[in-house]
Amino acid sequence: MNARLQKLIADAKAAWQAEQASGRVRIRVTLDTSSIARGAEETLARLRDAAASRKIDADVGITGSWGFCWMEPCVSVRSAAGTHAVLYGNVTPDRVDELIDAIAAGRDLPSLALGVIEGNATPDIPLLEDHPFMKGQVRRLMANLGRTDPENIDHYLAHGGYEGFGKALEMDAEAIVKEVLDSGLGGRGGGGFPTGRKWDFLRNATASPRYLICNADEGDPGAWVNRILMEGDPHLIIEGMLIAALASHADEGYIYIRYEYPLAFERMKKAVAQAYEKGLLGKDILGTGKNFELIVFLGAGAYVCGEETGLINSIDGYRGMPRIKPPFPAQAGLWNKPTNVNNVESYANAPLILRNGAQWWSSVSDAKEKGTKMFTFSGHVKQAGCIEIPFGPKVRTLLEQYAGGLSGDLPLKGFQPGGPLSGVLPASDIDLTLTLDPYRERGMFLGSGGVVFFDQSACIVDLCLFFLGFCEDESCGRCTTCHGGTQRAVEILRRIAAGGGRDADLDNFEKLIGTLVWSNCLHGQFAMTSIKTSLKTFRDEYVEHIVDKVCRAGVCKGLMPGRWARRAAPQPAAAAAD
Amino acid sequence: MAAEPGLQELRELVAEFQPGRGHVLPALHKVQHTYGWVPRAAIEVIARQLNTTPALIYGAVTFYSDFRTHPPAKYEVAWCCGPACRLRGGEAIREAIQEELGIGLDEQTPDHRFGLHVGQCNGTCHEAPQIWVNGRVRGNLTPESARDLIRSLRDGE
Repeated sequence: MNARLQKLIADAKAAWQAEQASGRVRIRVTLDTSSIARGAEETLARLRDAAASRKIDADVGITGSWGFCWMEPCVSVRSAAGTHAVLYGNVTPDRVDELIDAIAAGRDLPSLALGVIEGNATPDIPLLEDHPFMKGQVRRLMANLGRTDPENIDHYLAHGGYEGFGKALEMDAEAIVKEVLDSGLGGRGGGGFPTGRKWDFLRNATASPRYLICNADEGDPGAWVNRILMEGDPHLIIEGMLIAALASHADEGYIYIRYEYPLAFERMKKAVAQAYEKGLLGKDILGTGKNFELIVFLGAGAYVCGEETGLINSIDGYRGMPRIKPPFPAQAGLWNKPTNVNNVESYANAPLILRNGAQWWSSVSDAKEKGTKMFTFSGHVKQAGCIEIPFGPKVRTLLEQYAGGLSGDLPLKGFQPGGPLSGVLPASDIDLTLTLDPYRERGMFLGSGGVVFFDQSACIVDLCLFFLGFCEDESCGRCTTCHGGTQRAVEILRRIAAGGGRDADLDNFEKLIGTLVWSNCLHGQFAMTSIKTSLKTFRDEYVEHIVDKVCRAGVCKGLMPGRWARRAAPQPAAAAAD
Repeated sequence: MAAEPGLQELRELVAEFQPGRGHVLPALHKVQHTYGWVPRAAIEVIARQLNTTPALIYGAVTFYSDFRTHPPAKYEVAWCCGPACRLRGGEAIREAIQEELGIGLDEQTPDHRFGLHVGQCNGTCHEAPQIWVNGRVRGNLTPESARDLIRSLRDGE
């Protein structure tokens, strides 16, 4: 391996070991957007105060997410001897004193404990790996989350970081592409297109300079896997882009982060600055003569910039309107030069493939899709969080095991596999796997990993009104089919919800479905997916709304509440309608 | 209401940006970060600096929902419109806040203390339904607690 890189890694490992052997209690607070929303900054400040006032003799630091988002802030505490460490959840500011008292007394706090993360289980606290939320998970992308400081490049280097890049430095571009192709890595943004082939397109491009773009415009509401990665282990993405740059002879890279993720933007910027400082980015990287510039770019609030050519126009400085393809980005992308766009999670897998080999990487999954996939889940569930699991779990597993089941006492009505364009499916499809094919067969798609579950208190017309309203708002305005079509769909849905549904409305939906597919980009083409899929499986409910003027969930205010409306305020019409 | 900054001040602020380098959004971000909004004069100054037309800059300002063409209120309330929030009663939160403030989305109270706009999901769905007050998540709301929150801000913390 490159001698300079070897030294960086050796120094980082030595520093990490020295830190481990400090003989002090080691406290790590998860500090990300989810935990901050639940008071982690105050929890961290209180723990630091306690350490400063010597109430506890501890080294207090920050780390990324364990995925227990609904139980943030999470805090891990390792004993001074370094033999026993426990992860705690729900350490909100009003409960942090309990933990401080326990640490000061040198004991565990079973009431907040999630599990033992180092050493043996105790009579009161089982191992974390035996926690139902952790069982079945395989944490590769998330391996450092909860353990290292995302703002410290040395922590990353001490845990196998940049080793994949080191290996790639000794390979030619073709061999790197082959390794990624052999792994079977498919694009994680929802398309599933082989990442290695994309890199090969750029490698074979003739013009220069060539650009790499990391699509971190994770706009699907209910999806936050990219945020977890960027806030928890930003160097994984940088290393992935460096490997892609070697594989495709790229000169410059952009990480395009959405405006709603200010902390991810700050962490990514900090990580890029550290990588420059260590000579991992810029000119003559590690003395190899190779150059790669990396720029962290902040979006400004436009969902359609998640479409790769919309994103390219956005960096260009134009309105983020998707282009007409061809030419494809590999031929004419950013500034009309060859460009490759991948999702955050796609790049993040590259270091793992290079470090451990394609065989190791792909062997984890039995599904056609290889490797692990991160999912987040939300809606009417007990636990909204993030997991990493071998590709191909059942939707049921996600709901029952990881999301802890439904939050209310009503039965499941359906779910959305990933994003407002992905469509909705009924509860009877709960045994589908989270792989690409089942959704393609249904004229929809898997999406990028944000699954939303809803129970019978949700109204299908209201849900579609939300999805179509979102698509209308976020339409770039180029195609009449899309910006006009979504407007018509929203008008009809609003009218149905207000009690003005007409017999012709279902036919009108069919017409719109047939029209919007002629839009230029995926946004327009898939904008009607939620209506299209729900018309198949929830048709009765549309008919009830239009003909009987009944909303069974009691959500639509212009209609009589029906049988699932018992949680709504009692209304005189309720009994008659049921 | 904040006064519009002078041309010279704006020119110095965006002097680092160059044409053809993807600097439109970074320049607009810097202006909004400095003043809290993008004043009209800044559009022309940025256009000149980047050797392009004010129409292109204005086009970007209006395309992206996070650029403001007016000064922010003291409390900018973003109402999360995501699916988890909606399923957990987000519409009722919006109605309660609108009623409490007497304004609709994308409006400000006459005294410029409160502004209300749509926020896009930031993946803190475990706190649904929620709003963000000046970027800080206030979650697990009920219509009543949302009203109380607005009242406590209005009554001066």
